[in-house]
Amino acid sequence: MADQQLVTVTIDGAQVRVPKGTWLVEAAKQIKREIPVYCYHRKMGPAGLCRICLVEIEGMPKLQIACNTAAADGMVVHTQSEKAAEGRRAVLELYLVNHPLDCPICDKGGECDLQDFAMAYGQGFSQSIDPKDAKPKAVDLGPTIVLDEERCVVCQRCVRFDDMIVGERELVLKDRGVRNIIATANGEPYRHNFTGNVTELCPVGALTSKTYRFKSRPWDLRRTGTTCTQCPVGCQMHVDVRVGAVQRTMSVESDDAISDGWLCDRGRYNVGFYGSRDRITQPLYKHGGAWMQVSWDDALDLWSAAIQEAIAVVPASAGAIGGGRLTNEEVFLLQHVFRAKGIKNLDWRAGRQRQASPGKKSAALADIEKAQAILIVGESPAERAPIFDLRVRKAAFQKGAKLIRIASTERPYPAPIRAEDVTTAGQAVRALAKDIERIAVIWDGIEPKAIRELLEKLPQHAQLSTYITAEQPNARGAEALGMLPFFGPGYTRVSAGFDTAAMFAAARDGRLASLSIFGANPALHYPDAPLVREALERTAFLAVSDLFMTETAQLANLVLPAKAAFEKTGTTTNMAGDVLPVNAAQSLESPSDALSDLEMVIALAERLGVDLPLAEELDAVVLRHLAQASEEFTLGDDRFVFCHPEVSKDPERRRGDGSAIRVETRIFAGGGTSAHDARIAELRCLPEAAISKEDAIEFGVETGDYIDLSSGERTMHDLLVEVRPGVPQGTIVLIGGLPDGPANLFGAGAVEVSNIRKDLSREPAGAPA
Amino acid sequence: MPVTKVLTQGIGEADLRDMKVYRKRGGYQQLERAFKQMKPADVQSACERSGLRGRGGAGFPTGKKWSFLPPEIRPRYLVCNCDEAEPGTFKDRMLLEETPHLVLEGILLGAYAIESHHAFIYIRGEFKRGYEVFMEALAQARKAGFVGKGLFGTKYDLDVTVHRGAGAYICGEETALLNSLEGKRGEPRLKPPFPAVQGLYSKPTVVNNVETLAYLVPILEHGPQWFASVGTERSKGYKVVSISGHVKNPGNYEVPLGTPMRELLEIAGGLRDGRTLRAIQPGGGSSACIFEEHLDLPYDYESLAKVGSMLGSGAVVVMDDTTDFVRAAFNLVRFFAHESCGQCTPCREGGHWLERVLHRFLENRGLRSDMEMLARVSHEITGINLCPLGDSIEPFLASVLKRFPEQFESRIARETFHAAQRDGH
Amino acid sequence: MIAFDALLKKLKPKCDEIIAQYEQPRSALLPLVHLFQQHEGYASSEAQHAIAEMLALSPAVVESTVSFYTLFYRRPIGKYMLQVCRGLACTLNGAEDIMAYFREQLGIGHLQTTPDGLFSYEEVECLAACDRATCMQVNLNFVYDLTPQMIDDMLAAMRAGKYSVAPLAQTATPPRTWMPVQDGEVARGDKSDGAQDQPAPNNPGGLDRDGVIMLDRIIADEARFKGRTRERLANVEPALADAIEK
Repeated sequence: MADQQLVTVTIDGAQVRVPKGTWLVEAAKQIKREIPVYCYHRKMGPAGLCRICLVEIEGMPKLQIACNTAAADGMVVHTQSEKAAEGRRAVLELYLVNHPLDCPICDKGGECDLQDFAMAYGQGFSQSIDPKDAKPKAVDLGPTIVLDEERCVVCQRCVRFDDMIVGERELVLKDRGVRNIIATANGEPYRHNFTGNVTELCPVGALTSKTYRFKSRPWDLRRTGTTCTQCPVGCQMHVDVRVGAVQRTMSVESDDAISDGWLCDRGRYNVGFYGSRDRITQPLYKHGGAWMQVSWDDALDLWSAAIQEAIAVVPASAGAIGGGRLTNEEVFLLQHVFRAKGIKNLDWRAGRQRQASPGKKSAALADIEKAQAILIVGESPAERAPIFDLRVRKAAFQKGAKLIRIASTERPYPAPIRAEDVTTAGQAVRALAKDIERIAVIWDGIEPKAIRELLEKLPQHAQLSTYITAEQPNARGAEALGMLPFFGPGYTRVSAGFDTAAMFAAARDGRLASLSIFGANPALHYPDAPLVREALERTAFLAVSDLFMTETAQLANLVLPAKAAFEKTGTTTNMAGDVLPVNAAQSLESPSDALSDLEMVIALAERLGVDLPLAEELDAVVLRHLAQASEEFTLGDDRFVFCHPEVSKDPERRRGDGSAIRVETRIFAGGGTSAHDARIAELRCLPEAAISKEDAIEFGVETGDYIDLSSGERTMHDLLVEVRPGVPQGTIVLIGGLPDGPANLFGAGAVEVSNIRKDLSREPAGAPA
Repeated sequence: MPVTKVLTQGIGEADLRDMKVYRKRGGYQQLERAFKQMKPADVQSACERSGLRGRGGAGFPTGKKWSFLPPEIRPRYLVCNCDEAEPGTFKDRMLLEETPHLVLEGILLGAYAIESHHAFIYIRGEFKRGYEVFMEALAQARKAGFVGKGLFGTKYDLDVTVHRGAGAYICGEETALLNSLEGKRGEPRLKPPFPAVQGLYSKPTVVNNVETLAYLVPILEHGPQWFASVGTERSKGYKVVSISGHVKNPGNYEVPLGTPMRELLEIAGGLRDGRTLRAIQPGGGSSACIFEEHLDLPYDYESLAKVGSMLGSGAVVVMDDTTDFVRAAFNLVRFFAHESCGQCTPCREGGHWLERVLHRFLENRGLRSDMEMLARVSHEITGINLCPLGDSIEPFLASVLKRFPEQFESRIARETFHAAQRDGH
Repeated sequence: MIAFDALLKKLKPKCDEIIAQYEQPRSALLPLVHLFQQHEGYASSEAQHAIAEMLALSPAVVESTVSFYTLFYRRPIGKYMLQVCRGLACTLNGAEDIMAYFREQLGIGHLQTTPDGLFSYEEVECLAACDRATCMQVNLNFVYDLTPQMIDDMLAAMRAGKYSVAPLAQTATPPRTWMPVQDGEVARGDKSDGAQDQPAPNNPGGLDRDGVIMLDRIIADEARFKGRTRERLANVEPALADAIEK
């Protein structure tokens, strides 16, 4: 390619060879020469606004900006010459004319580019004696961000991020000239899934996170690099700890392969739960209907005894659910211990998802940017894998890929992304160019029929990359390491046990004597809450390991306090199969009596008399199994379908006259960990119901109304209505995982709409519509 | 040399807004001839041979500007820049309001020359009357079949869209204008790419001033040689000069380029009685002042550049001995600060700072160090911005600061402070 | 809101016609704002939202664009929009006196509206009528060669409802000003919408209005500034440095 032609430039006397067209700013980095920038960002390219990156180029009379000057062969650049230094000094002086210089109370102090560059290149005094312009100091931009207009240097990185990277275009520049400010439309809250990134992009202390304001100085933080385990993308992140608590998390700018340098707001802001008082701090045993605290020794004895007892009768009466939230090492040992005792009822799946491994057509995350067309079946990655979704947007917006959603009931992508919505796989395939070469398919792993139909129809000549966005971060690792009833570690075939559905059916029939659930909450996430509740209540001995007293834990006989991701060390597998490090954050304090699931399983193994691989060999064993990606299956493989006749019925199918329920994901659904941090309460969503235009007319409701839903004796109150195109008639879309309005409340039953009203403050209207 | 009438011919004598009148005087004949007898390349070549240079301010040779269009990429757009807002300039408004058909004919010729099928005219928002007049002219022309599909029996389609600005000087900068035309904030674009390669809707685009395009009509009528024979070696042809300020008869006067400054002053009636000349700003708000010793300079691009000023848009502002140059400097600096789009820090912050300091001078609260600061900062913000607006602040300020330092010194606070003490206040 | 819906319905065909003129819909943004402003007197937030929807843009983008242009008003303005030119040529011909006279006669300042909603007053940049200085625009119609007498007559005619130039459409009487920005000619008033009531919280010092107290300090420091700047100046502009030295 012509682009790859190398040229040689001389920067401050050092020669560097770079591809033709490389910006000087990047070329200089290769020889470790810093050229200061404010507006330029590697992921967004040059903007040419801040004028701080001035360099002298021989043969050019004026100083040039290094961010928008392409390296050309033979170019001689001086970044430190007197002329360049003078230019920078002059620009910096201007930056400080109106800057409040309130560094002592500025969160950015110590990691501020204005502070740093002023020190490195500035003149140290100002000739400005006039009063500075007063602007608002703490503008509440939305649930996550506060803006200090005085500190803003109008580099527009945040505005460009919202435009080019996210496509939401919520944050804009208002007014003109010296009055330019960053603002949202009409002061509406700045709210989408990626807002926190602007605080990192901001070179000064203008945009700050509400959760971190006035919390710490950067030099007082202990930093640990780890992997975010709140969704299956596995973004690399820094965890910053001070006084034993997580103060903030930061993206890793160089992480091109996974996060592309960004973090979503859940990954960034949902970290307050580590220090929550709601954490379970000691093993709890339910005795006579009341919880009592027990020692770990007693807890482990009770647990192992129950398992022993169950398998003594028949191994099929014991089982384990979970693994998608554990590390690879934990999952491997977990299934190893249970399988060693002859227990085959193992399944990581505790929610709606059935499959997490894409099999033979798996591809790297970054590969999606090469696709000419991206087809989305089921839920889009927008809420299930937000940072992966940014790559989808990038492919569509910046690289011109055709983005098609099939039978989607979700909200549309923001306008610049230009997604096309079709109803059938056939339409989607017809919309593709004949000579298409590279297609990417993204599936949510839930409904196999639709994905199989699509895969059959796709043109055979095209190169296909497939992705599954999972409900749990390490779902793919759990599958690869054997937490499936039909696959052992490395997708080896084993004689099949019960899957999750079959376990619940068996439990309900009183045939499950012991069930262990690790880091999963089926009572909230499994499609049929009534069934789960009944099943778990009838399980003779239910042990649950978790951070909080979840809906599932409340049904347990024994609750085990677990450590959370930043408190343990191991590895995790993301949706693309990358094995990523999970590191315990330095100087973070975890609840005194919590154990990691690894420690629990090892202790259990000891009591059950199971031999474990040597600790030092564990890593290698795990890696070996993870490397054995099975070639034989693809998306929607038969084996992943729940086989139990009753529960495998599609819960979305309408029964009777009411509406069917369909569930969608939101990153801040409010269940799980995010419910335990008051600072992000504003981010959590309230129950909503999206309905079709036809149904809206039929029920007599419109967007903004509130309704109740009921089925038999069960009622869900106060759902905010959204009339949404794409929702089929007869379907109501609810947000999954909301503790206040669990979408799985009705099981497979049809629901009725009642109690329609305009707002919540008024008395309920009474009569159902 | 006397005042000549080329573009201004008929203005004030006949109602040129009426297409019948305009046609009776030979209007639209060149357009018809071009479509029927000439190839686009012929029009282009005529323009190039005439030596016509952009009349908007930069003075770039028009034929050369057109030649930068990449040959293969279509569509191409022609945009007529009628966002006249340079302080002291009022020629385009006159042409638009008084002889809209000439402007339109020029646009159509220009579009044909570059093989564009969609031309735009961007009219300054304040020119409501001009907009209405031009819309009426366009409607007349459309009815007569001069705009639209299949012009003059050829297969050539050419449409013209009128786009109104909304109050932003910076939209006179061609890339800012294109952004504004695309419905965006009028912020200049980072160059490269240049509009000729990626302009409107990322397609090759030429942006030409009203006066530039209007001159295409007489150039075709009389031939490029006629135009090129007037003026100086490198500044050829005629120019409508807007003369204002302290002269008896301010107005637009069309003269051959190279007319001596002294003559220009006389054409405008000379200074008011009993006044003496202090300074002339010869090329709009962005140009440096020239003084009485420069009165024999020919009014052309090169001569003015030689003395550190420029011809710019051809706006001559004359200042006599009643002029308060501190106020004048404040006025222009405030203008540029007010009209800065605010993208680039030096222009945004620097302009604002200079404005504040000059305002302090107006209140007799200047400092001696401020005078150095004014010279230094206005110089430092020059040449490092994305567009030329920031560079426009220095010339006038520096030239009057250098020439009339006493006017600034008289407003230094220490003097008034000490004077007040001395007088026992 | 109902009134706006009716207006939108009425203008929709015109809007579609405008959008169709351009290769890309977004180009219609300025013309559409002009259109709605013509009917409503200002660019209301309902209008901005409607435009955003028509052009498939976010409301923030429309607001951002509208706020860039000084002829778009985001608040209701007076029946007579008086825009007096403060350009250089007009200033040389006495525009400051004319402006002072206007302010006195109207009782309002730059960027303000009279309480009765009759007049809005603005001092604008060069209007390109320098040959007729001093000039102004009334609802974008030029008025040339202003004198105090003319202003008296003009305002009297307007107050009597006898001014003949068609006014911009009038909306509800604006409560205070049509834009909360108190420009004042310089920085002090150059605040963004939200900053009006904010004191300067981090003002590190500078001239107070009388200039005296701070001035002492600055004068004491002047030698230091002088030394550094003169040195620099001597490099760039030796002649000027000399002149100042003298």
